Amino acid sequence: MIRQSDGVSLSAVITPENVVFIEGTPSKEEAVRQLTERMLARVSGVISRKALFDRVAEVEKLNQVLESGFYIPHAKFPELDAFYGVLGVVPQGFTDPATGLKVKALILLLSPHKPAFFQRHLNMLSLLSQTFQPELIEKLAVLKDPAAAAALVTGK
Amino acid sequence: MLSTAMLSFISFWKAASVVLCDFGSSAYYAGGIAMKAFGPAFPWFILGVMLFSGLMLGVYTESCIMFVRGGVYVVVREAMGKVMAKFSVSALVFDYALTGPISSVTAGLYLGGLLSNILPLLHINWHVPSRAFAVIFAILVTAYFWRENIRGIEESADNNFKIIAFVAVVAVLLLGWSGLTLYQRGFVLPPFTPVFSEEALGWTVHFPWLKAVGLIGIVMAFGHSILALSGLETLAQVYREIEDPKVLNLKKAVVSIFIFSVLFTGLLTFISALIIPPDLVAGKYAENLLSGLALELNGPYWSRLGMQVLVVLSGVLMLVGAVNTSFVGANGVLNRVAEDGILHDWFRHLHKKYGTTHRIVNIIAVIQIVIILVSGGDIFLLGEAYAFGVLASMSFNTMSMVILRFKRREEEREWMFPLNIPYNNAYIPVGLMLVLVVLLSATGMNLLTKKVATIGGLAFTAVFYAIFYVSEKLNEKKAQLYQPDDDSDEKMNLRREADIQTVVPELTKARRVLVPVRNPNNLVHLASVLETADDDTTDIIVLSAKIAKGIQSGGETMADEDKEVFSAVVLLAEKYGKTVKPIFVFSNDPFYSMAQVAQAAGADEIVMGVSGSTGAEIQLERLAMAWGMLKKPGEAGKPVLAKVVWEGRQMTFQLS
Repeated sequence: MIRQSDGVSLSAVITPENVVFIEGTPSKEEAVRQLTERMLARVSGVISRKALFDRVAEVEKLNQVLESGFYIPHAKFPELDAFYGVLGVVPQGFTDPATGLKVKALILLLSPHKPAFFQRHLNMLSLLSQTFQPELIEKLAVLKDPAAAAALVTGK
Repeated sequence: MLSTAMLSFISFWKAASVVLCDFGSSAYYAGGIAMKAFGPAFPWFILGVMLFSGLMLGVYTESCIMFVRGGVYVVVREAMGKVMAKFSVSALVFDYALTGPISSVTAGLYLGGLLSNILPLLHINWHVPSRAFAVIFAILVTAYFWRENIRGIEESADNNFKIIAFVAVVAVLLLGWSGLTLYQRGFVLPPFTPVFSEEALGWTVHFPWLKAVGLIGIVMAFGHSILALSGLETLAQVYREIEDPKVLNLKKAVVSIFIFSVLFTGLLTFISALIIPPDLVAGKYAENLLSGLALELNGPYWSRLGMQVLVVLSGVLMLVGAVNTSFVGANGVLNRVAEDGILHDWFRHLHKKYGTTHRIVNIIAVIQIVIILVSGGDIFLLGEAYAFGVLASMSFNTMSMVILRFKRREEEREWMFPLNIPYNNAYIPVGLMLVLVVLLSATGMNLLTKKVATIGGLAFTAVFYAIFYVSEKLNEKKAQLYQPDDDSDEKMNLRREADIQTVVPELTKARRVLVPVRNPNNLVHLASVLETADDDTTDIIVLSAKIAKGIQSGGETMADEDKEVFSAVVLLAEKYGKTVKPIFVFSNDPFYSMAQVAQAAGADEIVMGVSGSTGAEIQLERLAMAWGMLKKPGEAGKPVLAKVVWEGRQMTFQLS
């Protein structure tokens, strides 16, 4: 079935509180772990720590770094009723072992695992990959302030 | 860097034209040959054979529908195994080996006859030695198509259609004028009883109990007339090219062929016997009967000569087309058996410059030229030999269809030859069996009456069977195992392009559907698109993306498994008779390639098959990410429907 072509907005997902600057050159797993820790604080009321970390670790095996050097580890949970995101900025970047691509920005996205949300989930993924082009990622990498990073991404 | 090819299909009337250029060409010689064999009763039997062609067309319709890439070899192989298939294809090659000579010699005889009438009017005092002229003409025509087939120039259905259209106009003129002549002169129906020449009785003279009278006489005469049915194999070869709706178009083509053949070959031959005095049919016009019909019509000489010019022109075009068909057909069928490992690789050596199987073409050409020289332009000798291959391939095909009714009883058939009795989960094919009885009776009788055909045909078949047998053994030693329906050597007109943008202008239809493919055994999604898409309004782009890691040099070539995917796509497109645009790319991310091609082509839909390793949702997620990544920030872009299709289910979402 064709679902409604719901509009999605980055500003609902990316706020200054949800931006994490990761110093140094972490591994991919370490970067995702740090974002998951931040995410846990937001969803701990509905998702347990174990469930969140297990699920993220599971889907992480399937997620791929995009050609643009942007990475979107994403997972769906039936307990959720809205999108949750945590944006990670890695100024020095890390190298994805699978593709050899340098990753300086990534976002952990959690979506509701409900049929009615899948169209919006796809729209969100499409919008994120459209927004995080190499030029934007380079601009993000030189920022220090989460509010400035969120404003750059959302255009507000 | 991408590779692409064009796969297109033809309308039913073009398909009918291709068959008729071979099937209808016998109108120019069958009557004369039959007259020589059993006298003035010949028009009844030629007409009878053409009516019987309706039944044979029915048999071939059922076999074509069952095997899109069929032909007698495949049908017999599936029904009776490889040994009988080798016999059947050997006989078929004998048919092709004679189709060329009989057609080119006949064309030469018609042309020679015309020159004999025209040269005196131009005050050129040269008596055209008809048979010598026919031999020279036939060799020149054969040499021309020898060269053309070495160069790999494809038969054009458009040309066939133009020829048949011209022949149809000539036939209508001839029929109309003949009707007027008969109205003015009156007519007497020819006798029905055949009177056989000593030669036409063959070895039956040694069997006093086998009298050429009654039913036996009818079967004998039928056997001598059956050469008028040559060309049915062409229907099996052309079926794969027929456009959607395939089965309906096949039926339309078959009906067109039948009507044209009955009117053109059957009725014109019959009218010839009504208008031309019997002594002239047996004498002056024996080798160019339809020229005789034109010249014996009522009217001033110049108009009759004009009609002869048209008849000869149409005949030469059609007969010369049949020579090319014999090359293409024999080359095609021998390549087909070679793919099955029963012809040694030596035969399949490709020409350095043109990439054609030149050794097979050379062999066909040499055989045809030798036959032309041996015949000395004697059309009756060629006709005597000709029926062997025609009857053998028809008998093998019909027998196989009977066997397949039992062997593949569970298989649903879109159309069955009529007269069937349901019994024990099968349909007893009474109609097919009756046709088979007729064919086997004629085959048996021909073996006794047609000495040249029997000796020549059996010897030729034995030689080719031996070649196939030895080749197969040699190939088995090389461990090239037989694989049914292995079409890994699919020949497509592949070309390489640096950018998808160079291919986009070739997409001209209003709607565009992108179908990514990967696994030749998982094309359910492509089948669903082919089943529902309107070929007139929809471009179907089939994308095969090969994962290639790292920096590419651009010098990659398609591996066997990639060709296998393309072959499966082509086979499926042929089955539905719908045009597809196959594109092959090297990519480090297949979803990126899908999105890139879809955006460049302005696709309205992307239809994927489900991946067993990831599942539909992850496929859609990856596509959505690739789709977004390729768009400029803030760009709205054209929305596209993304579908994942698998057995009985589909997921559809929109990418925007």
